[in-house]
Amino acid sequence: MDDCDTLMRRVAGGDRAALATIFDLEAGRLIAIAKRIVRRRELAEEVVQEAFVTIWHKAALFDHERGAARAWMTTIVRHRALNILRDGSRLDFHDADQLAALGDRAAEAESAYADLPETEDLKRCLGLLEPQRRRSIVMAYVVGFSHGEIAAHLGAPVGTVKAWIRRGVSALKECLS
Amino acid sequence: MSREERDMRAGDYVLGLMDEADRARAERDLTIDPEFRDAVWSFSQRLEALDRSAAPEPVAGDLWSRVAAQIADVTQQTRLELVQSDMAAAGAPLTPPDRHGALGLKRPMSGFFRGARGTALAATMLAACALGYVIGQASVTARDPEVVVVLLNEEDVPGALVEAYADDRVRILPLTDFEVPAGKVLEVWTLYDADVGPVSLGTMDAAREAVLSGPDLPAPRPDQLYEITLEDAPRSAAGRPLGPILVKGFAVSPPR
Repeated sequence: MDDCDTLMRRVAGGDRAALATIFDLEAGRLIAIAKRIVRRRELAEEVVQEAFVTIWHKAALFDHERGAARAWMTTIVRHRALNILRDGSRLDFHDADQLAALGDRAAEAESAYADLPETEDLKRCLGLLEPQRRRSIVMAYVVGFSHGEIAAHLGAPVGTVKAWIRRGVSALKECLS
Repeated sequence: MSREERDMRAGDYVLGLMDEADRARAERDLTIDPEFRDAVWSFSQRLEALDRSAAPEPVAGDLWSRVAAQIADVTQQTRLELVQSDMAAAGAPLTPPDRHGALGLKRPMSGFFRGARGTALAATMLAACALGYVIGQASVTARDPEVVVVLLNEEDVPGALVEAYADDRVRILPLTDFEVPAGKVLEVWTLYDADVGPVSLGTMDAAREAVLSGPDLPAPRPDQLYEITLEDAPRSAAGRPLGPILVKGFAVSPPR
């Protein structure tokens, strides 16, 4: 069992010091994850601040997710970051600057995939997917692209992107199991 | 929900591709549906490898004090409150129990619930609503159970839901992960007749949703006792509970 899981059980029991310890261990990592999605550092900090308040409030739920305290926290952070992203002004796909910005973000997602160690099952299994499926999944996860943004970046209809992701997720789960 | 549909929803949830309404529904299901929960956490723990290439950012010196100030006045929610609010959001709101018991249930063995009557009643209603909801989603059975039971641990927190059918089948839906050490099993018991004593309905090797076929017994009745104990595998050698009681509760007839 991870340190984080032990600490999270203490948080569920009302231990604020345990939450502070988790914050010291994880905040830098979580800000980095949020920043990949919201881009701006101050927004990423705001995401992590709100996420820790949620973690405190709902820690009793954690006992359900045995062995997954970090994944649970990451999920809270990612969804909070996506909320901020989607609340913002909608992307205009005809705007050349916006398309260029999509390109930068897509490149960051690709490098997160490229940086996976070869020994990692996830690297092997993602590598077995057709490239468009793999890119769609990685862009959604790493930088928080919506179906529409993936479609704009890859120049494909939204329905096609949804099908790529469905089939990709299915094959990925099969490979990882 | 089929396995494929469940995996697809888990995928969309973990990838962050759901709209607000679907995401809220997924988060409710995380609380009340163990299979969906497993699908989500197994997938998210694998994808987490992609996060490792993000170099940790420096943390602003006052960020923790901002968090600490915000949680100073925030009361943590209990598991039961979280499940209740998720059930209410799922369209099966739970009436807060008043001190007379909102359902007017007779509880001949209410001493068992002493000091926790409100919790027990809330949990009973929760059982009826949660099972209705889960069955509605899963469509696993065309027939209604004779009784439903919420099994509580010693802190009166719901640990499992049970539906018992007239044909002796029993469906178990764990609400928490019971620790089952190697060499141990979860054994499900009922007491339908004090003269006969507890009868084993079957065993499970993990806290997962399960349907046990059960021995041939009289039709389950309201107020019948059900419990889950931790026994040495493959089952209690004595044919009666020897190990610690993890959760127990009394049956009620579900609303028709």
